[in-house]
Amino acid sequence: MLVSYNWLKDYLDVTVDPADLAETITRTGIEIETLEHPQEGLKKIVVGHVLSLKNHEDSDHLRVAQVDVGEEEPYQIVCGAPNIAEDQYVIVALPNSRIAGNEKIKKGKLRGVVSQGMICGLQEIGFSDSVVPEEVKDGIYVFEDAIAPGTEVYEALGMDDYILDFDITPNRADTLSMEGAAYEVGAILSQNPNLKIPEVSEDSQSFDSQVKVSLDLDESAVSNYRLRYLTDVNIAKSPLWMQTRLMNAGTRPVNNVVDALQYAMIEMGQPLAAFDADKIEGDLQVRFAKSGETIQLKDQDPIELGTEDIVIADNQKILALGGVVTSTAAEVDEKTTSLVLQSAIYDGALVRKSAQRHGVRTDSSARFEKGINWDNTQKAIDYLAQLIAENGQAKVLAGTKVIRDTQKSPVVIDITTARINHVLGTELSTADIIAIFERLQFGVVAEGDTLSVSVPARRFDISIDADLVEEVARLYGYDNLPTVLPVVEQTIGGYDRQQQALNKARDLLVGFGLDETINYSLTTHDKAISFVKEAKDVIALDWPMTKEHEVLRQNLVSGLLDSAVYNAARKQTDLRLFEQGRVFSQENGQNQEVDHIAGLYAGQNRPNNWQNDVKNFDFYEVKGQVEAFLKAMGFTKATSYVAEPIKGMHPTRTAAIYYGDQYVGFVGQIDPRELPKTKLKEVYAFELDMETLLSIDVEPTVSKEAPKYPAIKRDLSLLVDEAITNSQITSVIDENGGKHLRDVQVFDVYSGDKLEVGKQSIAYQLTFQDFAQTLKDDSVNKAIEAITQALTSELNISVR
Amino acid sequence: MSVFDHIQTLKDQGLTQIKEANDLDTLNNIRVNLTGKKGELTKVLRSMKDLSNEERPKVGQVVNEVRDLFATEIDNKKEQLQQAELEAQMQKEAIDVTLPGKESYLGSHHLINIVRQDIEEFCVSLGYQVITGPEVESDHYNFEMMNIPKNHPARDMQDTFYVDATHEHLMRSQTSPVQARTLEKHDFSKSPLKMISPGKVYRRDDDDATHSHQFNQLEGLVIDENITMAHLKGTLQAIAQHVFGEDREIRLRPSYFPFTEPSVEVDVTCFACGGKGCSTCKSTGWIEVLGAGMVHPNVLENAGVDSQKYGGFAFGLGLDRFAILKYGVSDIRDFYLNDVRFLEQFRQEAK
Ligand SMILES: [Zn+2]
Repeated sequence: MLVSYNWLKDYLDVTVDPADLAETITRTGIEIETLEHPQEGLKKIVVGHVLSLKNHEDSDHLRVAQVDVGEEEPYQIVCGAPNIAEDQYVIVALPNSRIAGNEKIKKGKLRGVVSQGMICGLQEIGFSDSVVPEEVKDGIYVFEDAIAPGTEVYEALGMDDYILDFDITPNRADTLSMEGAAYEVGAILSQNPNLKIPEVSEDSQSFDSQVKVSLDLDESAVSNYRLRYLTDVNIAKSPLWMQTRLMNAGTRPVNNVVDALQYAMIEMGQPLAAFDADKIEGDLQVRFAKSGETIQLKDQDPIELGTEDIVIADNQKILALGGVVTSTAAEVDEKTTSLVLQSAIYDGALVRKSAQRHGVRTDSSARFEKGINWDNTQKAIDYLAQLIAENGQAKVLAGTKVIRDTQKSPVVIDITTARINHVLGTELSTADIIAIFERLQFGVVAEGDTLSVSVPARRFDISIDADLVEEVARLYGYDNLPTVLPVVEQTIGGYDRQQQALNKARDLLVGFGLDETINYSLTTHDKAISFVKEAKDVIALDWPMTKEHEVLRQNLVSGLLDSAVYNAARKQTDLRLFEQGRVFSQENGQNQEVDHIAGLYAGQNRPNNWQNDVKNFDFYEVKGQVEAFLKAMGFTKATSYVAEPIKGMHPTRTAAIYYGDQYVGFVGQIDPRELPKTKLKEVYAFELDMETLLSIDVEPTVSKEAPKYPAIKRDLSLLVDEAITNSQITSVIDENGGKHLRDVQVFDVYSGDKLEVGKQSIAYQLTFQDFAQTLKDDSVNKAIEAITQALTSELNISVR
Repeated sequence: MSVFDHIQTLKDQGLTQIKEANDLDTLNNIRVNLTGKKGELTKVLRSMKDLSNEERPKVGQVVNEVRDLFATEIDNKKEQLQQAELEAQMQKEAIDVTLPGKESYLGSHHLINIVRQDIEEFCVSLGYQVITGPEVESDHYNFEMMNIPKNHPARDMQDTFYVDATHEHLMRSQTSPVQARTLEKHDFSKSPLKMISPGKVYRRDDDDATHSHQFNQLEGLVIDENITMAHLKGTLQAIAQHVFGEDREIRLRPSYFPFTEPSVEVDVTCFACGGKGCSTCKSTGWIEVLGAGMVHPNVLENAGVDSQKYGGFAFGLGLDRFAILKYGVSDIRDFYLNDVRFLEQFRQEAK
């Protein structure tokens, strides 16, 4: 809402500097988004009187004007505007003046003819295209009345004003009017605003049977409805003072009826309507639209209405969409002579839905949505009638036709001084608090420290004591509140076990040299169900904004891959990325979300160095990171890696990871077909279901002494069929190694020329240790013997 | 020449030889010559049978003294020579210590998580529990419980992603539903509630330099019998000073949120200019950093908490915004594109 500083002076004795006032309002009530002073930056712009006009000899559209600008001699100014004429009073930018956009105007020549300045349109001195009256939009501005030549134009055009842009939060719609703003500023300045009381001089003829009204809606839909009737209207332009106030409020002046509707609404907050009485056929009906009915708005295709749209209609057509907009069917035009004025209050939710449904948001609909002062309907229609009567020499028929006038029961809230101090942490006295309510023009009856506060209808945002506490707090001043930390019974802060574990997991991967990323949870359908063992039902947006973000991810790797591809496109191809985040799915119609962690590796396994011992990441290096990660997280029970297909992963270089017999994730190479158009070649990734891992009970750590007795190590070199896997061999070794076998490590794998085709050699180092005594060679030999026999008999392996 | 003179001569010669020995082999030969089974001192002892009974013990004693002296001197010399040999060895092992080391990869935490954990840990030190909740929420917890019924104008302020046709479930547009869930469960007869809820939130925004359809919030809630707005000010000042620097001030401005009353916007002294006024703060000296207020009685009552007895404050801040403000990040999309050159510059930041 654009609030004029000069207009505020109609109600209040405002002497404070506009910038200071803006700051105070911001700190006390409503943020002032901007403060504009329209004449700022303009220089030497005055009224000129066009004395004579002749054609430019070298141009078919330029004309040469002699203009009285208050100097002894008239100025010669060349002008190209089509609407220039003799005897006009116009805006002149003198030589060495400044117009909008800090543009300097100099004396110069136009096609050989001297021009001492420029005759201006409103846009050229800073008015926005959206507020300039249509008839002067494409030419120079012409004053209606004579103004002494040489006078600066700023006052006449309202440019000496200051415009405060109230950034109104949804609860403070009471300030969506000059009256509301006056109350607010009055409370801040401790002044009672002097509001205008309409003075309608009514004609002897009364308003009775000219219009019949049928109101078919209940009080919840239409709580107030009243009409006035005017005759002998003279449609013309509004006086300049009204036009400039409207323009400063962001509204384009049209004529004395349309402008009065706008002006009265801006002043009193009540949306109003006017219909050309001669265009109304039959009775006025206020009802819901019937399906199939349409409304015709200016320069638009007809809009089809629904059965929840409130309409004003006559026997033939729709005149208005209630609370939103008036149709062209009975609109006021130059020939209009009789008017039906309407002041009504509609249900905010219905208006909001109508406006939304049809994409027609207006100043009127915004006010109904946010709230209306029920006390102003009669006053506003009186004021409207007065303005039209004054500006259009109209007759106001006696009386208002009040079709409905629902009264709101007054809001009275009891509150105590103690309660206010209790919430704010202040020590205000009852008198302090009463003084604040009086500044707000609220009624207060005090009994001891209990206050009964009557809230005027214009403050429809206030209904409970917390609302009153806010009024006290903001007017007392937030700066005046003490600043202390809460004193409460000691509470124990901290993270829960899962958060602690996830924080640790993230720290570990950073320690391993990975960069933490955050990717989007919303992704494409394909990416959402990639990199999973089995895709589940996806959670999809009801109304996605883009295909890129339409369903929720079931994996983290696809996001990491997006980030990797983004980096590769920027020549960053050595990557170690991870993310800890949620994945989402639906099971039996229930939404599920669980925490995962995933990593991605591409390129070199360490930074370049001059010793040149750098390799590219491979499966085993990445698997080693997963193993170390699981170990460090305390997931030390049997983990198995099983070659299994995972969607999007390399078919023979991927392992599903099982913790016990529970599937917890995978590690492997990303299927190269998932990497189109990127410089990345071999990309490895892992993803772990942290929710499942953390749900498995981990035994508490109990300290054990470091072993006192030495361990014995033995090497076993095996000649093995290539089809046999390490995990088959180690499980045979584990089963047959006896109770002192502590560890089995692969230390060499060889296949090649020296072996027969289809064979490979694997060398293991076995560690035996007895924690109770020194282990004898003899018992180790027995264990090795048992292992060797089992390997031979079960897997046909020869020990070399 | 008496036997004693002979021993003296042996002693002097022996010590000189030891002193002049240049390597361990020579020293070993000297040891054998002087103190070995066939060495000079042994010869003296063997010749003792020619001496008188009175002289014999004296000669024995003197020979033993000299033998001990030789042993000590030889050991010392040996130690010296070994040290010299090692020293020479290490001289040969010289390397160019100015050549670069073999670096390991250094990982980095994501800036948003650095900012998040910093605030979390500060709040934990003040006795707050960190509580997380679902990102796919019900309309009930995200809106209804937070005093935002259907058709409430505030629903326009945060256009929402719904995940079903009936609009019962949605991507949470704020982390407040976690507070609603906690309020329902908390036993106020046992202890006050002090919590923060961090996490991702989602809104229908087109992604550009200042908007993201996914971002991160951290909200705080303190409820007890005697919590005041002064406590809110104190708490926010402490957090602002922890995050942005000790000499920062805060100020409150009236605002509106459906779940608090009174509601305030909180500004902190501009960190670019220290409050003097600059382009960052649009010459106001202040930068808006978060929203806060006293919890609306409806929010408490919706969760079954007696709003006459209990009350308190809530605050909510955007972690992306905090990171942008504190580190001068110019484009919010940088947080989600994960260019490693962007990510890695925050490696040195303490959490
Ligand atoms: Zn600044």
